[in-house]
Amino acid sequence: MRTKIFFSEALRSIGANISTTAAAVMTVLIGMFLLGLFIALGSWVISWTNHVKKDLVVNVYFCTDLTCEKEALPKEINAVSAELDQNPMVKSYRFVSKEDAWEEMQERFPELTAETVRNPLPASYEVIPVNADQVQAIAASLQEPTPPGVETVKYGEKKAERVLQVATIIGAIFLVGSIILLVASTILIANTIRLSIFSRRREIEVMKLVGASNWFVRAPFMLEGLLCGLAGSILAVILLLLAKEFALPGIMGRIESPDDIQAWSFPIVALILVAMSLLVGAAGSGITLRRFLRI
Amino acid sequence: MQETDQTDHLDASRATTAELNGDPEEATQVEPVAPEPAPSGSPMIIFEAVSKVYDPNVVALRDTSFVIDKGEFVFLVGPSGSGKSTIMRLLLRELDPTGGRIIVGGRELARLRRSKVPMLRRNIGCVFQDFKLLTDRTAYDNVAYALKVQGQSKDLIRAKVPEILALVGLGSKMNSFPHELSGGEQQRVSVARAFVNHPPLLICDEPTGNLDPDTSVGIMQLLYRINRTGTTVLMATHDREMVDKMQRRVIALEEGVVVRDERRGGYG
Repeated sequence: MRTKIFFSEALRSIGANISTTAAAVMTVLIGMFLLGLFIALGSWVISWTNHVKKDLVVNVYFCTDLTCEKEALPKEINAVSAELDQNPMVKSYRFVSKEDAWEEMQERFPELTAETVRNPLPASYEVIPVNADQVQAIAASLQEPTPPGVETVKYGEKKAERVLQVATIIGAIFLVGSIILLVASTILIANTIRLSIFSRRREIEVMKLVGASNWFVRAPFMLEGLLCGLAGSILAVILLLLAKEFALPGIMGRIESPDDIQAWSFPIVALILVAMSLLVGAAGSGITLRRFLRI
Repeated sequence: MQETDQTDHLDASRATTAELNGDPEEATQVEPVAPEPAPSGSPMIIFEAVSKVYDPNVVALRDTSFVIDKGEFVFLVGPSGSGKSTIMRLLLRELDPTGGRIIVGGRELARLRRSKVPMLRRNIGCVFQDFKLLTDRTAYDNVAYALKVQGQSKDLIRAKVPEILALVGLGSKMNSFPHELSGGEQQRVSVARAFVNHPPLLICDEPTGNLDPDTSVGIMQLLYRINRTGTTVLMATHDREMVDKMQRRVIALEEGVVVRDERRGGYG
């Protein structure tokens, strides 16, 4: 009964102030569309950095007769293996023999290896850390002193640092951008509700005079804010869906993207947007009601 | 002496109201010896040394005291800025007094919780010079709105609204919008809205201020009839002729001070 009245009052007001309402819906639409892009892009990039982080390994290169004076002995290789077994930061490791390395090399650079007469590559351990951040620590544990038979330990310092840095920066931009957009949407909804209150001053005055309870006066405006938010977010979701279906294949076709890099699934993003816009709508109208509708 | 005077007056006005809508129920009510639920002696409104100062230093009311009994019909007269509207707004608790006490229907307004203010207003009908009707709703919806806002049931609204509109003489114009009605008719709608709940107190802020003299008489008769149902009526006005003719209690204000309070006075 009551809710029915509130809905009819809110719809009546939306109809009466269609231009302001449209402005608010458009703002939410733009804000939520950008937020949706941010979430999709952000989650894709985070997934990408995780993928890259997975590539972060520590390579333990053993001596060859070219680099040191003599080849590393099996005994020495086993000693390193035992050490890795005991290290809690090591998730797993893989032995790459001279021949494996050579095959890999041949595969990747056939013209380079074609004229080489003998295999110059060292045997190595490829050590995968539990956590990508730990590559440096694992490398350090195998250096100073370097175990006998080990020529050098590499973990792609530069690459690791860059990847982690980029991931942090992207995360921060993602967060800040989203917050700015949410605040902007909230303020704009607040402004719309304020205009709505202004254009309905008379009605509110009458409501108060005939003894409407505070909630009775407020509820239609709250509902109006929520409906604005909801409409904007639904339109944004539709736009995003169109973008995903038509624009994305064109873009993704050009980017090499392994299967394990995935943005968050669309329904989740859509759900987040709708929830956020409802929140923004409620907050926006709440702020204005507090300031402009002292009853 | 006074009593007979009153009845005479009432009978005269009774005739006009019966003419107004030919309500048979009202005709039967003429019979009793004291048809007017005259001031019963228990107060409806008490102003106790009330003062109101607006920012920064505009004094609207200065130590104003008066008592209005239940069932009274009281005119509040005085030049613009003498504090009439301030009294109205204080009664509705749109404003809080700077000093003193206001008691309405036995409740001290200052002690009323904010959330109870709507309850207070439901018991006070208001009529204004500018009608304060909602322009995008019909006469019916304007009156129904007052009931809807108070959470009344649909059935009750459907029963009460046509009844009260017929009572104010607008039975045939229920579906007209305010702009399709004359000033007098609009004011009748607003009276209907104010009275649809039968509030114990009706306050009117220059209800005839925008109306021509003939139309004003019609509105006054309406208010008079409402008063006779037992509702206390407090009416601020500039209408000298009307006040003189009605011979009711007059409280005159000047610069926020009560300068005259006569049981049966003229505009002065």
